[in-house]
Amino acid sequence: MLDTDKLTKKFKDTVAVDNVTISLRQGESVGLLGPNGAGKSTAIAMISTLMKPTSGDVRLHGKSVLKNNGAMRAILVVVPQKIALYEELSAYENLKFFGRIYGLTGKKLEGQIQYVLELVGLSDRQKELVKNYSGGMQRRVNLAAAMMHEPEVLIMDEPTVGIDPQSRNHLLETIRKLNREQGMTVLYTSHYMEEVEKLCDRVYIMDHGKVIASGTKEELKGILSEEETVWIEFDKSYPKLFEKLGQIEGIQHAVTDEHSLKLIIPKGARVLGTLFHEAERYGAQIINVNVQTPTLEDVFLRLTGRKLRD
Amino acid sequence: MKAVFLLQWRRFYRKPLLVVTMFGLTVIFVSVSAAGNQGGPQAVPLYADQSLTEREANDWLERLNDDDRFAFELMPESRARTLVADGNVGHAVKLLTTDYRLLVGREDPNRFVLDSYLRRTYSEELSLQRAEQAVPGIREQVESSRDNPPLTLTVTSRQGEEDSFQYNGELQLLFGMTLFFVIYTIMFSLVRIVDEKRTGTWSRMIISPVRKWQIYLGHLGYSFLVGFSQITLIFLLFRFAFGFDLGDHFWLLIAIAACYTFSIVALGLLIISLVTKPQQLGAVIPIIATGMAMVGGAFWPIELVSNEILLAIAKVLPITYGIEALTTVAVYGEGVEAILLQLAVLIGFGAICMVIGIRLLEWRSAS
Ligand SMILES: Nc1ncnc2c1ncn2[C@@H]1O[C@H](COP(=O)(O)OP(=O)(O)O)[C@@H](O)[C@H]1O
Ligand SMILES: [Mg+2]
Repeated sequence: MLDTDKLTKKFKDTVAVDNVTISLRQGESVGLLGPNGAGKSTAIAMISTLMKPTSGDVRLHGKSVLKNNGAMRAILVVVPQKIALYEELSAYENLKFFGRIYGLTGKKLEGQIQYVLELVGLSDRQKELVKNYSGGMQRRVNLAAAMMHEPEVLIMDEPTVGIDPQSRNHLLETIRKLNREQGMTVLYTSHYMEEVEKLCDRVYIMDHGKVIASGTKEELKGILSEEETVWIEFDKSYPKLFEKLGQIEGIQHAVTDEHSLKLIIPKGARVLGTLFHEAERYGAQIINVNVQTPTLEDVFLRLTGRKLRD
Repeated sequence: MKAVFLLQWRRFYRKPLLVVTMFGLTVIFVSVSAAGNQGGPQAVPLYADQSLTEREANDWLERLNDDDRFAFELMPESRARTLVADGNVGHAVKLLTTDYRLLVGREDPNRFVLDSYLRRTYSEELSLQRAEQAVPGIREQVESSRDNPPLTLTVTSRQGEEDSFQYNGELQLLFGMTLFFVIYTIMFSLVRIVDEKRTGTWSRMIISPVRKWQIYLGHLGYSFLVGFSQITLIFLLFRFAFGFDLGDHFWLLIAIAACYTFSIVALGLLIISLVTKPQQLGAVIPIIATGMAMVGGAFWPIELVSNEILLAIAKVLPITYGIEALTTVAVYGEGVEAILLQLAVLIGFGAICMVIGIRLLEWRSAS
């Protein structure tokens, strides 16, 4: 129902979004995964008609929305990355306003306010001022404000940044419910691959403004079907050893993370022996070794040679 | 538009402090200063040139003391000079046979009032004396008919003409302070636009079915109405509760307030299109408000300003025209014909600022 065609946005000296072509089918839950600065927010701004693309097109049911954005604005909503609320007002007052700008009035408006408050679990605290809420509760109101007109397409821009685990779970659960039970089409942006893995049927992976891979989770992991991930934990950090291990023949990618090392190796490659041997030589103590099936995080690592988060 | 407009009032209801403060400050400043000014007649030392006899000097003293705004007191020159030098009084007057000299210790509005009074009294008295030489006994006639006028003739004079400066300290203060403090109310309510762009609520509205001009109109409408209400309430308060004489054209004052408010809303929009950081605006707005008020005649009558550069700047400030128009109507009792120019300037100024301001804001957000 919603497609972009070679969407591109250039700022003065950066190409924030570079020839991005993605599509959302009705009722689908799609992930947009990429590290900070990948161009996710910029892509969303163009899809939601907030920003004009440098080139390319955005289409709703096959019709371009660049000139005529009314249809898109009526059915789509974006939950912004930042909390975008009037913090001197109560949750109730905020929701009332966001309902009104979508044309709701009277009983319908009141009913919808109570419905979305229920949805995000804040019914009993609706009269409190937003500024007195915790970060997690503010995030929930941020989502609730977007649900006022029952949008067909819900775009979420990193909705879980900086919130407590409990609110995060509640939020993810809510989105899943909206998608599964109400058939809402969801585009979920994140740099947390666990969330995308849990929530989304299909995934686009973005880096440096480009889509570098796309498909279902299984398809993407298929990229790594010939590979394995080996994770080794040491008692402390050994920079020289880590560097050396990364260069062992057969190892495709290596990343360090404080005391541990993650290697992507071809399936069946016999590198462990060499690995233990080298560790011995450096006098390093291995605490834990783990051979894992790949995650989307590993897919990203494989594709870019970098980690999703730094 | 209605939703955006109503939202602003809701926000005002939750956070009324700024507007209430500006309203309160205006009332306090005007009422306290007005009370201070009513401390009886102003004492003015008087001393005579050698060319005057003691009797002549006493005649002048009596004649000048006809007006109860002043209490002239005849004394030796040295004493008068000391009083002025020590700052006990602002001014002293030296009598000559057909003229006077003003000894000025302090530049303040009273100097103007005094000077204008002396000039009028002198020219009246001197023409009487001249007439008396031709027609002896005319003075008595004039004086008796002054007390029982055979017919009354009202002379209205226009502001700006030589010799016609009327100073009404109370109204000067009221108009100056009202137009000054309302700048804060209006401009800080416009800062909400900048804040919305920063927090992201602006983007939320943009991607909703509400149109951009509706969002602007909601904001501008609120800022206009909150400023306009502030001025109107203050005028009503001072007219009815404090008993200020605001002349016979009260509605005209309200119309001037509307035009002035419009020009300040537009100027505010231009400012937020140029200065885009809320913290910077926190510094810029007071500077602009105070600067405009000082140059434009809100703190003291513009007639006191003689620096040509300042006068030239005053010519492009809306507050100058606002005060001029209010004074013309309330103090000089003129009707709408006398202030058409000022109203046109206020509206024209506003229209220009608004067009440039919105263009700049839109250009910025597009790039
Ligand atoms: N308004 C802007 N002006 C200039 N550069 C921008 C602007 N917005 C984003 N960028 C740049 O575009 C790139 C992508 O940013 P963004 O879309 O916010 O990434 P993400 O949301 O994936 O973290 C970054 O390099 C960022 O610095
Ligand atoms: Mg982002």
